[in-house]
Amino acid sequence: MAAFLSLAESQRRIAGYLNRFADAIARQDGATLRPLLAVSSAASLLPLADALSNFSDSSRLVSQSDHIAQFAEILLPLLRSIQSHRLGRFAEAYSSYEKAANSFLQEFRNWETPWAMETVQTIALEIRLLAEKGDRELASSGKSPEKLKGAGSFLMKVFGALAGKGPKRVGALYITCQLFKIYFKLGTVHLCRSVIRSIETARIFDFEEFPVKDKVTYMYYTGRLEVFNENFLAADQKLTYSLARSDPLNMSNMRMILKYLIPVKLSIGILPKMSLLKKYNLMEYSGVIDALKTGDVRLLRQALQEHEEQFLRSGVYLVLEKLELIVYQRLVKKIYMIQKQKDPDKAHQIKLDTIIKALKWLGIEIDTDEGECIVTMLIYKNLVKGYFAHKSKVCVLSKSDPFPKLCGKPVMT
Amino acid sequence: MERMKKGRSERSFGRERKDEPYYNRHNRFKEVASSSSNSSPASASDSPTNPQNLVGTCPDMCPAKERAQRERLRDLSILERLNGDASKTSAALAVKKFCRTISSADLNLADIRPLPVLKQTLDYLMKLLDSTKFPFETLHDFIFDRTRSIRQDLTRQNLVSLEAAQIYEDIVKFHIISHRKLAKCRERPEISSLCHLNVEQLIKCLLSLYDIYRLIGKGKGISDNEAEFYSLFVLLHLGNSLPNMGETLSLWYRQLAYSVHMTKEVRVAKKILRYAEMGNFKLFFSTVAMDLTNLQVSLIEPFLDEVRARAIVQFNQSCYKLQPFPLRHLSELLMVKEDELEQLCKSCSLETSMDVTGIKYLPCKQATFCIPKIGLPFNGLSTNQICSDT
Repeated sequence: MAAFLSLAESQRRIAGYLNRFADAIARQDGATLRPLLAVSSAASLLPLADALSNFSDSSRLVSQSDHIAQFAEILLPLLRSIQSHRLGRFAEAYSSYEKAANSFLQEFRNWETPWAMETVQTIALEIRLLAEKGDRELASSGKSPEKLKGAGSFLMKVFGALAGKGPKRVGALYITCQLFKIYFKLGTVHLCRSVIRSIETARIFDFEEFPVKDKVTYMYYTGRLEVFNENFLAADQKLTYSLARSDPLNMSNMRMILKYLIPVKLSIGILPKMSLLKKYNLMEYSGVIDALKTGDVRLLRQALQEHEEQFLRSGVYLVLEKLELIVYQRLVKKIYMIQKQKDPDKAHQIKLDTIIKALKWLGIEIDTDEGECIVTMLIYKNLVKGYFAHKSKVCVLSKSDPFPKLCGKPVMT
Repeated sequence: MERMKKGRSERSFGRERKDEPYYNRHNRFKEVASSSSNSSPASASDSPTNPQNLVGTCPDMCPAKERAQRERLRDLSILERLNGDASKTSAALAVKKFCRTISSADLNLADIRPLPVLKQTLDYLMKLLDSTKFPFETLHDFIFDRTRSIRQDLTRQNLVSLEAAQIYEDIVKFHIISHRKLAKCRERPEISSLCHLNVEQLIKCLLSLYDIYRLIGKGKGISDNEAEFYSLFVLLHLGNSLPNMGETLSLWYRQLAYSVHMTKEVRVAKKILRYAEMGNFKLFFSTVAMDLTNLQVSLIEPFLDEVRARAIVQFNQSCYKLQPFPLRHLSELLMVKEDELEQLCKSCSLETSMDVTGIKYLPCKQATFCIPKIGLPFNGLSTNQICSDT
């Protein structure tokens, strides 16, 4: 490709780019400036990249006019990054881009208005994308991947530049979301805490001022954190916030949110319809939901085993495992209802033996001691109201509301 | 400068999943190129903070300079004194102390012990553990500090190898032995803080060990040893009052290789947690008695009484006032001696009763349950429950 490019044409392309860059800043034209920095995502930069491979003296072009030379510390590493990226040298592309971004950030701090906010956000996105590519490259050649970690540090600097009283603060949530994506990818999720603290407790930020799109992403990630910490009420609130403000036609986003919202809802006693699972391709939860509906403990265990790896990776395995108690509650309730039909006066007394037989029928063998443990646990956790008579091995149910519903609250710990 | 190799390498790093972190956050050990033949040498590192691969030259358990200094300052542990003299030690007795603040600029290779010396040092310390000349707290204090120093030397030299892993494994075992021995006298306040610090270091040690496993394993099949040590982290979550382990179990499971999840040791550890969570004390204790390794049992023995207390409160609240729970039956279920169970109930402010024939019971629906502030007594696992009639 480069062979067909004349030196004159290459020089023209590079000079054109440099001029557009400097002019955009002079005019405070964010819309024009922004695509000039989208190294990994803008196809429009490809011709420039070819030119850079062809014409090697860009630094001369940069220093030729003061108008452009004032941004040399941004432009020179930026051009290197564009070239490296085109040649598939991603770790290098990242390192150069970080230098350019650093210099850009310094200029940005001096501009009073937030005219370049979208550009900064593009830079934040690019930093993450290039770092991911760079780390993949490093890992596959046997080296330690460290670019994404560096990207995290850089974005904290950007966050710092935005966390002030001025109008720039409205862009802080976008940066926060990029940081979340980085920390989740790195597994250093505990680092989210300090950014969250800044957003939620600093008086300069008013959550309502942020753009809706950023709020949705923010609530998605913080909702997921609540799921990891098993704070189901908070998780429900945040993920629902995200869901309610997402575009229902964006299947991928809806699926991402529901993937975590469903286990949360199950933990507080709310079962989604099967049609919802089908629509958003979340059938991995169907076994769990059926088990909850029918009291089939064996079905729950099978469902967990079948999708074990998937549930472990998304971090919901332990949440789903804990649903077993609710499934037991359902089973005991079913026994009660059957007894009620046969002999309503005696229905509130359930022999331990009956429960053991029911489980045996489901393929689960337990002895009396285990049965006693399970029944007393159900009573202790207020899933069954009543008491267990140890000597006679009978569970005596309370006459009123013997199987309290969860009603939006998780099983008490 | 040597060009980086592009394209795929011989080693596979597993499928890339969108959600899966491919960089371990506890990665204190950078890739060590020395042991493998097909990776490029350290020149490929482009970050100025990447530590060089130092190799220490200190031939003794304690560097000579430190020995002389501590003799002068009379800063010798009782275990390091030559013939009881507080100002004299020897190369055979002195062991390098843990030093909290050392800047990397001051590092002198003569002060760092290479791997073979570290192994020797650890062997010496482990032998000390069996000593009957000194009270256990003294031994614990000494070995606690000196193993920390061993770990420090390992980190400084960026040692990532099977031998380094074995050193960590032995140090973990030390912490578990201490954990158990110290728990036996944890009502004493000074011991309970020692316990806490010990568990803290146990956790740090485990996490460093996992880093090494990851770096030397590289997705290949793992040995039984590794599975057992991974399972210990799971089992630690049985304790209620443990230091913050940095992240919840759900998060930790996310980044653990599925092959590790599938091992017998990790599976049984997860089961144990689940049984405790579900209140299935029958299966909890029977699994502990039958399916855990010695090391696993040693780790969780100090937590058993917490689990028993949970069982007591569960039965107390759920059972029938007019049908009190026979202690004998409960003690069999919870694998504890009947008189120890009685003591446990009393510690939790619950009364026991006795009928005319001398059989003891736990009356139910007592409202007075509370876990004592000084912690619960330590009762191990009693599997012989065929006791004669009282």
